[in-house]
Amino acid sequence: MHVRALVASLAVLMLTATAALGAAPVQLTFTVWSYSTDVILDNIKKFEARYPGIKVSLQDFAWEKYTDVMTARFVGKTPTDLAYSSDHWLQQWAAANWIVPLEDYFPQVKAYKPDFAPYAIEGMTYRGKLYGLPYYADTIIFIYNEEMLKRAGFTKPPATWDEVTRMALAMKEKKIVEYPIMFQFQDITPWYIEVFLSMVYSYKNYQMFDASLNPIFDREGTAAHKVAQWLVDGMRKHKIINPASLETTEIPLVKAMGAGQVAFAVLPKYNLADLNTPGAHAQAGKFKMALMPGETHGTVGFVRFYAMTKMAADRGKAVQDAAWKFLEYFGGKTDGKFVVVKRWALEKGLGFAQLPLYQDPEIRAAINKWGNVSLEEEQAKVARAKEALTPFWGTWSLEFQKEMNKALLGQKSALDALKAAAAKWKEMKK
Amino acid sequence: MRLVALPRRRYREARYAYATVLPVVLLVALFTIYPLLFALITSLREVVLYRPWSQPFVGLKNYLDVVRSEFFASAWAHTLTFVVGAVPLATVLGFAIAHLLNGRSRLAAWLNVTILLPWAIPTVISGIIWAWIFNSSYGAFNGALYSLGLIDSYVPWLSRPRSALLCVLFAHVWKEVPLTSILYLAALQAIPDELYDAARVDGAGTLGILRRVTVPLLLPTTLIIVVYETMVGIVTFDLLYVMTGGGPAGATSLISYYLYNSMFVAYNFGQGAALAVLLAAALVVFILVYMRLLRSEEIYAT
Repeated sequence: MHVRALVASLAVLMLTATAALGAAPVQLTFTVWSYSTDVILDNIKKFEARYPGIKVSLQDFAWEKYTDVMTARFVGKTPTDLAYSSDHWLQQWAAANWIVPLEDYFPQVKAYKPDFAPYAIEGMTYRGKLYGLPYYADTIIFIYNEEMLKRAGFTKPPATWDEVTRMALAMKEKKIVEYPIMFQFQDITPWYIEVFLSMVYSYKNYQMFDASLNPIFDREGTAAHKVAQWLVDGMRKHKIINPASLETTEIPLVKAMGAGQVAFAVLPKYNLADLNTPGAHAQAGKFKMALMPGETHGTVGFVRFYAMTKMAADRGKAVQDAAWKFLEYFGGKTDGKFVVVKRWALEKGLGFAQLPLYQDPEIRAAINKWGNVSLEEEQAKVARAKEALTPFWGTWSLEFQKEMNKALLGQKSALDALKAAAAKWKEMKK
Repeated sequence: MRLVALPRRRYREARYAYATVLPVVLLVALFTIYPLLFALITSLREVVLYRPWSQPFVGLKNYLDVVRSEFFASAWAHTLTFVVGAVPLATVLGFAIAHLLNGRSRLAAWLNVTILLPWAIPTVISGIIWAWIFNSSYGAFNGALYSLGLIDSYVPWLSRPRSALLCVLFAHVWKEVPLTSILYLAALQAIPDELYDAARVDGAGTLGILRRVTVPLLLPTTLIIVVYETMVGIVTFDLLYVMTGGGPAGATSLISYYLYNSMFVAYNFGQGAALAVLLAAALVVFILVYMRLLRSEEIYAT
């Protein structure tokens, strides 16, 4: 009798333990670059309330250092399940097997493709497979301070780069601002190359590479050469580009613009929402977007997305299931709606890859408060994904930036800087 | 030949000694020898993170590639410029401040603590502070110069190659001087008062005492400081990373930054390891020179 009682007690204990273990939440580690962490935390809170069996631990790092931190985490196998990623790191991260194709684990992800802008799909695809669901997707745009432009005697924004020069010179002459144009051209900022390319893509013959991915941008008269020369002239000859651009990153540039120290800037579009937020900047409300000056007004369309790491995939089915719930909640639909993506668009003015959201009256009204939804759509139509996104693209872009800065400092000609950058590309391509 | 057995007690003592030293030896092997060997092996292979499936043995190719690179020469040139500026400044300023602190002032204790503050601030934080101070739009340095009428408009200090390196150098010296001051202060306080009294009796003035008593007796400390500051200067990284990102146009990329660039930007761990080995070898050579110079007999013989 005693033995039976003992066995029964043990069985009850084991069942209880199993039930308790089964109820233990799945822990996911999610890494992001620091941007509106309060909103991310609130989204996580709502996600956890919806899925009580999943707990998410958030870790954030500065945007400028994000790729370094993530490399160290991946190499050092620091537990990381879900991460913000970007089109310009995708090839590197995927080739190194740090992140996994979502299609291999969650075939249902393909159903989202018709909703996404083509440049965003391209930016999340490696070797034909989709690696992410969009956190946001946006274009690089031309922003100007309307009041400063009017004070200089202009009623319309510039339509070509020559007009930008003419207007900036007028502002300088009338002492409206010493340096009307500013860029974020610190050697290591990942935005540098995107801004440069957005200017290149505003020309008809925008291609930087041929079909075999050989550089052609280092030839005289190419769009890249025109842009590089325009930048060098702007900084060294006309002195309309602030020389401090070489130490500037995104946030200081937005602050300088908001303070009225900059009339023209090329920035990711969401900054326009911030610049026009009442009370956020001294000049809030005076900023407008124009189509990218140039021959075609083309620009760069980019995508930042949620990716699942190999570490998460290796943790087994329960973690994969939890990761999919997370991915779908944050980058896909919940109850048939793009809940989180819409929130970013409404509250922070972030762009989106999910095209059906352009028909949402709430979103259209929200964008029109700080921008111009029709112009935004027009700009998005001529946006293109970055070319030649190879595994060494991110590495090369930093070499390109360093060479370009040598030209801006007058150490090299614009063409020589492009030739040096092309030589680096060929070396890396071997 | 007849083997002589160790007495039992001596054998036990030897066994005890080995047993107590063994954990330390294992720890050193784990945290020093293993990483060193791993780095050496990595430096002889082609290890590129985005090609993890292929890591062939390439012999000395990584070393040759690194040394032939255009960046190698410029990074060493920047590093030597930085070290040549930083070491004398940190040493002389440390010496001067230690002299001031060595006075029998009632404020001495408070000053001793205060002087250490820059050293206690994490380097990344001090980098951020100095980047703000030298900022071209709102920096306090520009503000001060402008208020004094020394400049007409704000100067982009961190956007010009030479001034950017000088700014980083200044921030580095600011951070290092407290340590050199404290080291000198400790050495100064160890000099017996009798030596000074004797020198005065012999008719030596302040400069004479400094030249014939203080400086010779502080020579070992000076050597330690010079060697330490040289090594710190060569491997400086965090200030550059925060203040300039190695720019503009690579003007503040020291050798340590080149190493970081190879590993965490180019993801080329093979070349990064080769650079690390070369850097370590350069430091070892330097340490050997220092060990030779530090022989006290030779110092005092001068």
